[in-house]
Amino acid sequence: MSVVTLAIPSKGRLMEATAELLAKAGFTIDRLGADRGYRGLLRGLDGVEIAFLSASEIAQNLRDGKVDLGVTGQDLLTEKIPPDDKAVQLLVRLGFGPADVVVAVPECWLDVATMADLDEIAESFYERHGRRLRVATKYHNLTRRFFAGKGVTGYRIVESLGATEGAPAAGIAEIIVDITTTGSTLAANSLKILDDGVILRSCAVLAGRSERLDDPRARRLIEVLSAIT
Amino acid sequence: MAGKSSAERSSLEHQNAALMAVFERAGFDHVAPDIIQPADIFLERSGEDIRARTFVFTDPSGAEMCLRPDLTVPACRYHLSHAENPAAERRYCYLGPAFRFPDELLSPQEFTQAGLEWFGAPEAIAAEARVLKLTISALEAAGLSRYRVSFGDLGLFSALLEDTEMPERWRQRLRHHFWRPHAFRELLDSFCAGRGAKRTSVSPLVDRAAAGDALAIVEAEIESRRLPLVGGRELPEIAARLANKAADRQETPLERAKADALNAYLAIAGEASSIDAQFAAIAGGQRFMGARDYYARRLYEMEELGLNPRRFHFAAGFGRELEYYTGFTFQIEADTPHGPVAVAGGGRYDNLLSDMGSPVAVPAVGCAIHTDRLKAVLA
Repeated sequence: MSVVTLAIPSKGRLMEATAELLAKAGFTIDRLGADRGYRGLLRGLDGVEIAFLSASEIAQNLRDGKVDLGVTGQDLLTEKIPPDDKAVQLLVRLGFGPADVVVAVPECWLDVATMADLDEIAESFYERHGRRLRVATKYHNLTRRFFAGKGVTGYRIVESLGATEGAPAAGIAEIIVDITTTGSTLAANSLKILDDGVILRSCAVLAGRSERLDDPRARRLIEVLSAIT
Repeated sequence: MAGKSSAERSSLEHQNAALMAVFERAGFDHVAPDIIQPADIFLERSGEDIRARTFVFTDPSGAEMCLRPDLTVPACRYHLSHAENPAAERRYCYLGPAFRFPDELLSPQEFTQAGLEWFGAPEAIAAEARVLKLTISALEAAGLSRYRVSFGDLGLFSALLEDTEMPERWRQRLRHHFWRPHAFRELLDSFCAGRGAKRTSVSPLVDRAAAGDALAIVEAEIESRRLPLVGGRELPEIAARLANKAADRQETPLERAKADALNAYLAIAGEASSIDAQFAAIAGGQRFMGARDYYARRLYEMEELGLNPRRFHFAAGFGRELEYYTGFTFQIEADTPHGPVAVAGGGRYDNLLSDMGSPVAVPAVGCAIHTDRLKAVLA
């Protein structure tokens, strides 16, 4: 039977927390080759290979079938994998790395509290300025799905790959969709979250490809991690 | 599939020649609007839902361009750049590729669309019936024999709304939400609730605006909280909306019976030629009466053209997902062993040319046929 590949974040808080969790489950990670190798083995569970990837690549690799299991943020998973895609499943919410994906608008918009308000001002904004409201985000799919669900259509997404919270002040966008843990970065940038603007309450998750879930090693990993989270 | 075989190509072309022959014989000028279009017209007009499915790219000068996701807007652009007086009557037909990223139904990313657009038609009712007739004739000429026709009429809804007593700004908001049944119902409920409407995080400020000068309150708030002015909206704009929210609260709530009448209208559906009995049960006023008369005259025109409206289906909520239509809307579905498949649709869209920069209003009726889907159905 071919090895089961488990992708975990290659660096940062998410990597440390994942390593801690695996240790708590009785497994240790052996990095192969040089200290900074990108492959490893899971000691304590034979036949499981580790792939160290950046958190944002893990969902895509799961989707493409290049890895069987992966630990990544639910935000990144939901962004990359459509809700109707049966090939990849969310298996265990691991609890660490909590963060919300939210819709935030300038605090000076004193008349705006809800997505319905946003829809209304979208219309008058278009009439006054001849262009659509712009939403800066790296979460294109989450944004489109959420806005469509709320019936808001009169907007455009502008790509933002970092420091999204600065986009309104920089005049690049009026609205942002971004991840936040405490809301302090938003407040520091004079942005407020809409009353009904929480798109997703995210945390780190274990996800896997459906066709590999019957593999005994995959099952064991899921059982152990479910039991301790 | 990476393309069509010689046989597939030739059979599609053969089918489409039959469609176009019907349009051309009826006096529609066969034009070829550009495939590559400025992106803004589509994206600013349609919003993010279409943008997500449009192939957008940047030309060397930095301008945002796209592959047309549909041919109606390119035909309108063609008309505006060629016609001396945009409101003068012109009839166009076209056949060509359109491009969309596949959606979840895995529709093809390039497909051939046939269609016609009739601008400035002097007799509105006759033009609507005639466009439906031409669409059906073209489909039949291509070999389609089993199909169903459904239509809706935004004119009836607009008339009923005009007849319903409420502030004009409420009507505007309801019109804006016509496309979204859920939001529409919620909005209607909030108008009935009056002071009992749901409170939000801006309600305390609305309370204050109700008792004072909204602009002064907004300015003081911005000043005291040292809020930077970002986001491109000016203070008077923000204050005016707060004042509107405050006014909404003092407004006499919408009578429940009137809200129910609007909802009841939107639930009407049935056989098109006898639907007036259901219209009659709705408590509308003069304008609604006028719209019923318009509907009846359109049915008469259809019959004059040899159509049989007793076979057609009317649904008041039909077309709620097609944002640019303003009146009559229709769809034709082929009957297949796997269920109905939409092969053509169309209707009246009187605001699109003005929105695209025409200095005068241009009444417009058109239709589009999804020729690859039609081919698949007929295969």
